[in-house]
Amino acid sequence: MTATRELIDTLVECATPVRRLRPPFVRAMLWLAFAGLVIALIVMGHGLRPDLALRLHQPTFAVTTAAALATGILSAIAAFVISLPDRSRWWLLLPMPALAVWISTIGYGCLTDWVSVGPEGVRFVDELRCLSILVLTSVPLTIALAAMLRYAAMLRAGAVATTGGLATAAITASALPLFHNHDATAMILIWNLGTALLITGITSVFGRRLFGLLAARLLASGTQI
Amino acid sequence: MSPGPPGRRSSLTLVASSADAPVGAERNTNRARDWSGLMARAQDGDRRAYRALLEDMTPYLRTLAARCFREPSDAEDAVQDVLLTVHAVRHTYDPGRPFGPWLVAIANRRIVDRLRRHIRARSREIELSSEHETFSPDAANFQCEDTAADAAALHAAIATLAPDQRVAISLLKLKEMSLKEAALASGRSVSALKVATHRAIKSLRKRLRQSSETP
Repeated sequence: MTATRELIDTLVECATPVRRLRPPFVRAMLWLAFAGLVIALIVMGHGLRPDLALRLHQPTFAVTTAAALATGILSAIAAFVISLPDRSRWWLLLPMPALAVWISTIGYGCLTDWVSVGPEGVRFVDELRCLSILVLTSVPLTIALAAMLRYAAMLRAGAVATTGGLATAAITASALPLFHNHDATAMILIWNLGTALLITGITSVFGRRLFGLLAARLLASGTQI
Repeated sequence: MSPGPPGRRSSLTLVASSADAPVGAERNTNRARDWSGLMARAQDGDRRAYRALLEDMTPYLRTLAARCFREPSDAEDAVQDVLLTVHAVRHTYDPGRPFGPWLVAIANRRIVDRLRRHIRARSREIELSSEHETFSPDAANFQCEDTAADAAALHAAIATLAPDQRVAISLLKLKEMSLKEAALASGRSVSALKVATHRAIKSLRKRLRQSSETP
């Protein structure tokens, strides 16, 4: 009891004014605006693929890109909402419809390519440029998201890390076809899925650890006088 | 126990302390509104409001924690954990929303985390009783005849070792010093101690095997 009283004294002593968080939708939009800026900078550096206008008229390409983008936007909103302690976990379902469409178009694209081209349609090309775009897009987005959601470390670390990872993955995957100029559609689609799985997996696994470290630091800094 | 504020949904619910039990739902709603106002002022840096809020909600948190932990000290640790978390994430509270669900969600999270840690620790650790306690002198550790005979054989074998090996075994294995400590105590280098220990164990193994084979 005495220890709790002492703890309250310490907490009161270091109770400096805090700035309330903006509504989660506003914060999600800020992160998405940052994502747009990162992608715009990469477009300036790498340039768009030459046949982008043509490709956008192809239904599979357009639907996949749109579904990835929608998954990214909705996951970002879900991550920011569920990072708050008093919001319902049902928000986790928000990106699911878009995710289902995205995954099904990837599967459909793979199947049609396999049927029309055969095993040649699905090939992995050593594409460093693609990898660099992937890293250049996903790393700043992940860092920004982790910084903006660091307080969730003590609340719903796993769910926030996974949803945030999905948001980053989906945004990265939707940006990738803007630069990638391979004709092997399935290759791009597998890149989409691979990117999503890779980034979601990494952030889910390391996000928990990162959030664990952040939680310890937050608790330590919170009680420093 | 009285019902919590409107909008709650977690498995842990907002309850009043036993002293307030007859007061009823209206009082509890007022309290939740008060807490909301106090937190809003605390966010602006009002320390008196913050102290009032923390002191007011501590008995309530204690009630929540007492439902999940048998040991009062564990429950108190959980309360402190919740208070620390509330402090660290107080900027996430929106004064436009009810305070109860916000607090209960945090308390729920911290108490469940602590319970998980407890269960994990209990599955890996065994509590020591007085029977497990022992002392370093040989007399306390070798009580039955067999072990005493083994100890005597081991000590006899150690006595036959070369002096440098005997010192190494004595410091590193019998006195359980670290290599650095043993190096300091004996004035020998760490690598020399490692070599001496390796040779000593080899020759001890040989001698003890010989003595067990001879009837």
